[in-house]
Amino acid sequence: MIGSKHKIWVGSIVALLLIGGALVYGFGGLSKQKTIDVKVIIKSMDASVEFWQVLIDGVQEAAQEFDANVQVWGSDSETDVDGQIALVEKAIEQHPDAIVLAANDYDRLVPVAEKAEKKGIKLIIVDSGIRSEKPRSVVATDNVKAGREAGQAMLQQLSGKGKVAIISYVKNAASHIDREKGVRSVLASSPDIELLDTSYAESSEQNAYLMAKELLLKHSDVIGIVGLNEPTSVGAGRAIRELNLKDKVMLIGFDSSFNEITLLDEGVMKATVIQRPFQMGYLSVKTAVEAVEGKKVLKVVDTGSLVITKKNMYEEENQKLLFPFVGN
Amino acid sequence: MGIFKRLRSIQTNMVLASVFLIVLTIFIMSIISYYLTKDAVQSKAQAYTTELVKQVNNNIKSYVNGMKYMSDLAAGNHSVQEYLSNSTFSSLKEEKGYKEAISDMLESMLASRTDIASANVFGYGGQFVSGRKELELNPYIDIKTLGWYKNAQAAEGQNVLSPSHVQPVFKGRYPWVVSLSRELISKDGKKLGVFLVDLNFSVMNDMFKDIRLGQRGYLFIVDSDGKIVYHPQQQLVYSNLKSEKIEEVLAIKSGTFTSDEGRDSRMYTVQDSDFGWKIVGVSYVNELVGNQNEIRLSFVLWGLVCVLIAIVLSFFLSQRVSKPIKRLQDSMKEVEKGNFDIHVMVPKSIEIGRLARAFNIMVGKIKELMSQVVHDQEQKRKSEINALQAQINPHFLYNTLDSIVWMAESNKSKEVVLMTSALAKLFRASISKGEELVSIRTEMEHIANYLMIQKMRYKNKLDYEIDIGDTVYDYKTIKVILQPIVENAIYHGIKKKHGPGLIRITAEETAADIHIHIEDNGNGMDEEKLKSLLLPARDAEEGRGVGVRNVHERLMLYFGPEYGLSYNSKLGEGTKVTFRIPKSLRETEVEQ
Repeated sequence: MIGSKHKIWVGSIVALLLIGGALVYGFGGLSKQKTIDVKVIIKSMDASVEFWQVLIDGVQEAAQEFDANVQVWGSDSETDVDGQIALVEKAIEQHPDAIVLAANDYDRLVPVAEKAEKKGIKLIIVDSGIRSEKPRSVVATDNVKAGREAGQAMLQQLSGKGKVAIISYVKNAASHIDREKGVRSVLASSPDIELLDTSYAESSEQNAYLMAKELLLKHSDVIGIVGLNEPTSVGAGRAIRELNLKDKVMLIGFDSSFNEITLLDEGVMKATVIQRPFQMGYLSVKTAVEAVEGKKVLKVVDTGSLVITKKNMYEEENQKLLFPFVGN
Repeated sequence: MGIFKRLRSIQTNMVLASVFLIVLTIFIMSIISYYLTKDAVQSKAQAYTTELVKQVNNNIKSYVNGMKYMSDLAAGNHSVQEYLSNSTFSSLKEEKGYKEAISDMLESMLASRTDIASANVFGYGGQFVSGRKELELNPYIDIKTLGWYKNAQAAEGQNVLSPSHVQPVFKGRYPWVVSLSRELISKDGKKLGVFLVDLNFSVMNDMFKDIRLGQRGYLFIVDSDGKIVYHPQQQLVYSNLKSEKIEEVLAIKSGTFTSDEGRDSRMYTVQDSDFGWKIVGVSYVNELVGNQNEIRLSFVLWGLVCVLIAIVLSFFLSQRVSKPIKRLQDSMKEVEKGNFDIHVMVPKSIEIGRLARAFNIMVGKIKELMSQVVHDQEQKRKSEINALQAQINPHFLYNTLDSIVWMAESNKSKEVVLMTSALAKLFRASISKGEELVSIRTEMEHIANYLMIQKMRYKNKLDYEIDIGDTVYDYKTIKVILQPIVENAIYHGIKKKHGPGLIRITAEETAADIHIHIEDNGNGMDEEKLKSLLLPARDAEEGRGVGVRNVHERLMLYFGPEYGLSYNSKLGEGTKVTFRIPKSLRETEVEQ
């Protein structure tokens, strides 16, 4: 009787000791917990596109702050959809905890993106989305809103009747589709404005320049052009500058670059709607880390947009956005 | 075993007490050492941050001093003064000469300085001279609207340091710089223009970028207006994703404070520089203590391990105490069951050892007493059998029957009747019932019958007297106790004597006892025989001794060792035997 009771005692104490030891050991192991692995796949690694360079800055800032192991990959150009699909496949093979993707194509990246989610990799969309509900979160500018802001800026500049043209970069990128929607929703409401069909620059600034030039020569009553991203804005700007139409044709652009700033300074471009790529990069990694840690993340994170004009371009708050501190 | 019963056991109490003590001690120690560790680490981190911030300050200071030095040189430069104060020159060559002199002077300043973006002189008359000859003015920018220009004018000849900003004054360039500007004033107090020197901000950026205080900590700089000069997450600050305690930073000159943001509390280490900037080191408090949770948890876990070890130790320690007690208890249980053949091992511990030793002695004593009781009982039974045997002495029976036969032959029928009825009474008395105790009256009747039979046999050879007071009749005695003594008196005393003998039975009463004397005037005994009479019988010796000893032992067994027989005898004169019995019982009481 006593013997068996002793055995229970000793047994339970030994068990407790083992549990304690295991806890200490286990915790020691846990404390060196594996850093979160995140693959960021952006549209373009081209160092001359400041937008992505700033976004990478934000990514790296977040990586450091949240102690995540982040690798940034990108296709050669924003039109290289196959290249990007291959990159996502490669990322899935390495099985990171999360993939942050800026999709080059709204539709064609859907299968590979959904495959990542199926494999248990948390998918976060940054900047440009895909036609799927699978991504945990979309960290991007609310492009429809940004488009409306561009439309509003155009309305403020315009006086009198005339035609307004929209130049888009590529046909099937979500961000451009949304911006166009926003711009059109504002401008369509004005009776003085006739909206021309959207021109597609096929991801070339030179194309945008040529298209704008042709447009301006063909339609003498064009009073406004909206460029939906940096190359299209700069291309259109070049055309206006060349034809010396800066007082007649109002140019509203998107994003910022050295060329766009020059256009703003010169007064060729009246306003540009800028995004916050640093925030996008930072918040997309932050959201990815939170998703991996099992926290609840917002389905949509709007990083906001800002209308910059010649007047406010040198204000302290805007300098950092407009003059990214990259490669200086 | 129920919980409450278990709570009462020594072992559980000892375990609980020691566990409680140890847990308390470990708990207090853990808390104290945790906070000591935390404080130590925190103050160390603070000292480190302060030192780092000071060094950064010195670095920046050397840059700023360099710029100030340039500004002083330019302000005091003769060519600058001359060039800006003269609105008209005697010749274009003279004007060009001044301009080149200034340009050369500025160029020489910049010669070895990659950190300086440009050094320029702007005259209020529209003059512009740059140390970098390739620079052209941006036609779309009005310099009068720029901060560094306005501030220099407001400072009237003092050096003004701007926060980091984009410098748009040069065509085709938008560099990030920190500007030092100063209004140029002629010796007679005329305001001539503004001197500007731009420091490449990338120099500072490179310097600060890699400074990390812990995992997440960083360094930032604000100017005296609270504008951010440098911040690694400037964009996050502007978009309110991050906030800095700028007001608190501006409020203190130099020193340390901690923001109260719960888990994300930050420690700000502020260093005021003499050029108006404040360099601020920010570290996360929870990071300072290594990984605070880790330390806390490891304290808890090690505490737990210590407690477990303590429980095991106290369990075994208490077992060392309680185990011998338990063993003792088990032995006691055995004794309870009646097993006295037990010897407890004496444990080493002093107290329990004594207890065990005492227990062993006690058990030994009990065992001894038990065996004595058994022995006594056996003796008693044996003596009872002996007594029975003594009562029906066969020789006595033959002789009596012989006498009866003889008397019948002589037609002495009256004597035959008398003797036969006496014999019958004698037998009835000795056989009747099983009662051990009878009244002295009954015993006397019995002995009277016996003596009568003997008298009829021995005629004149034997006389007897029974002289007992009424008062003693009702006390109790053991039955058939007198007969063996009287028998002895007849066979060993009177029969061996020449001439007639007398047996006298008397009784005397003391306060507690009754003494019954049986005297004869027979042969008597010598000293030696008298001594051996009451000693334990040697089996070989038959006769007189056996009966006497038997009587003596029965009395002692019944009434106690102080009771029994005592003998007085002289050879040739007779013997006196005294019975001593207690007055404890009376006939009437027993009947009631």
